[in-house]
Amino acid sequence: MMNKTSLIAIALLVFMGFFPLFVDSAWLAVGTTFLVFAVVALSQDIILGRAGVFHMGHALFFGLGAYTTAILNVNFGLPILATWVPAVLVPMLVAFIMVAPIIHLRGDYLLVATIGFNIIFIQVLENDVFGLTGGPNGLFGIDVVRVLGYDFSSQTHMYYMAFILLGITLFIMRNLDKSKFGRAMFYIHKDEIAAQSMGINVRYFKLYAFILGAGIAGAAGSMFSVQYSAVSPEAFNVTQSIMFFTIVLVGGSASLPGVLIGTFIMFVLPEMFREFETARYLVFGIAMILTMILRPRGIWPVRFGNIPDFLKKGVK
Amino acid sequence: MDIFLQQMVNGLTIGSLYALVALGYTMVYGVMRLINFAHGDLVAFSAFIGLSVYAQIFGESVTSLVAVITVFVFTAAIVAFVGVLLERLAYRPLRTAPRLSAVVSALGAGLVIQNSVMLIWGPNMKIFPSNLFPSTIWEIGGIVITFTQVMILGVSSLLMVGLYFFIHQTKIGTAIRAVAIDQDAAKLMGINVNRIIMIIFIIGSSLGAVAGLFIGTYYRGITFDMGWMYGLNAFVAAIMGGIGNIPGAMLGGLLLGLFNAMITGYISTQWAETFTFVLLIGILVLRPTGILGETVAEKV
Repeated sequence: MMNKTSLIAIALLVFMGFFPLFVDSAWLAVGTTFLVFAVVALSQDIILGRAGVFHMGHALFFGLGAYTTAILNVNFGLPILATWVPAVLVPMLVAFIMVAPIIHLRGDYLLVATIGFNIIFIQVLENDVFGLTGGPNGLFGIDVVRVLGYDFSSQTHMYYMAFILLGITLFIMRNLDKSKFGRAMFYIHKDEIAAQSMGINVRYFKLYAFILGAGIAGAAGSMFSVQYSAVSPEAFNVTQSIMFFTIVLVGGSASLPGVLIGTFIMFVLPEMFREFETARYLVFGIAMILTMILRPRGIWPVRFGNIPDFLKKGVK
Repeated sequence: MDIFLQQMVNGLTIGSLYALVALGYTMVYGVMRLINFAHGDLVAFSAFIGLSVYAQIFGESVTSLVAVITVFVFTAAIVAFVGVLLERLAYRPLRTAPRLSAVVSALGAGLVIQNSVMLIWGPNMKIFPSNLFPSTIWEIGGIVITFTQVMILGVSSLLMVGLYFFIHQTKIGTAIRAVAIDQDAAKLMGINVNRIIMIIFIIGSSLGAVAGLFIGTYYRGITFDMGWMYGLNAFVAAIMGGIGNIPGAMLGGLLLGLFNAMITGYISTQWAETFTFVLLIGILVLRPTGILGETVAEKV
């Protein structure tokens, strides 16, 4: 089983690696955005799928990363390269300050609180606090990545940068699965009370997941702002958060291939059916309901690899 | 002082609309542990249904008590039917599935309802007829109260008091409370859980329909995507009061309505939602299960 999955993964990686050679610029842009969204969806999955924290405000961290890069570049003239570190750290810090007081809340309460933080974030952007965010129109004219006099400005460059980011994210998640943190999160997700009585510090690991997820989403946001060379509030509103939330659950939470399939279905398929603008979301809604009824654990549900077979029976 | 009293009246009006919608959320949550994200869109849908029922039966011009009651009853019946259908098709198959799967199904159902409304009635704002209620206005000591406001306050208080007694005094109400506490035990006592859930959806959707019609008559302009905003506010109200708790939803609705009115009256409209959520998060930090919510020990 392991070999088959790795084979598919390698085939997919090779395909994604050569993808820019076959397609026109419009589809290349779709491909780049797919990669960026896949990173955001994976980081959402760390929080929602692995730690099992009900979180429906992930566009907030994505947007924080994007706006950090945009503000530092447009308003303060920093090169993009220098904004990468703050674009990861700011969302992490905000995640800590925001979530630490409420991480103990029961699932649904946390869900609404995270929606609330996302809405507050959008209002802060739209009301142009301190004159930094550019209000409802957002910020324009974000620079390209320059290293030692070389410009990485073309679509193909963007694609490969996003590709590398996805690679790093997959590497982090792979390590997470095999580490103490990943196992702790898995137990918390399965049974919080049991995990607590085994001595796992639930609060600490949930926060850890939140901060890690926020940081990765921030990196993706930074890339997103450079790709479009502009940021505006509506790219990071609650509708986007709901999309990331749905991607994880439709694809299969805590499952790497699942989340990638989810991103493809929720983001690339709608791009393909652009002509059917009006009825598109109607069909989309029906598809969401049907997917959940037919495959309640997602399209590609997770199989947790480190459990011996005789123990797996009880684990769903 | 005048502004204060005026905003108080406005706040109570909006608050009772929130409360009506919040009841739909909280009842479904109490029994199924499901955030019914489609409920807000159902409220928007009912405003449009009301518009069409009125145009079809009375042709835009008639105002009479009979006409108003007919519109409300017809709309409530249609929306209740859609609510029951929603439960059958989108939620019942997922009752034993992981909880978040049902949430995704609810989000999908919301999309379906919202976009159906858009395809049927068009993407533009529709204007509700102004003559559904008489345009009488009372001025009491500098504050203005419209007939519509009095109707909203009167009807929603009646409905809420009625619901409270229904839940606490009748046999079906007792069954609803039993199912909310423990579905399996209720089943063993001979309660038909499916029927109770159907009744929950009938009541919740009808209350939402009444709220939708009042939103139409009060604000006049209705759009296909307005359900999200009202739904979210009502849901916040339900959470504030303690989700699953019926008096909590009423209290939360009124509280949120008053708070919103004071914020928009005294501070700013631009930051209204921020204040709403700061209040919500503040309440949750102090009382993690809402104002009237009980702390339930998790069963192992």
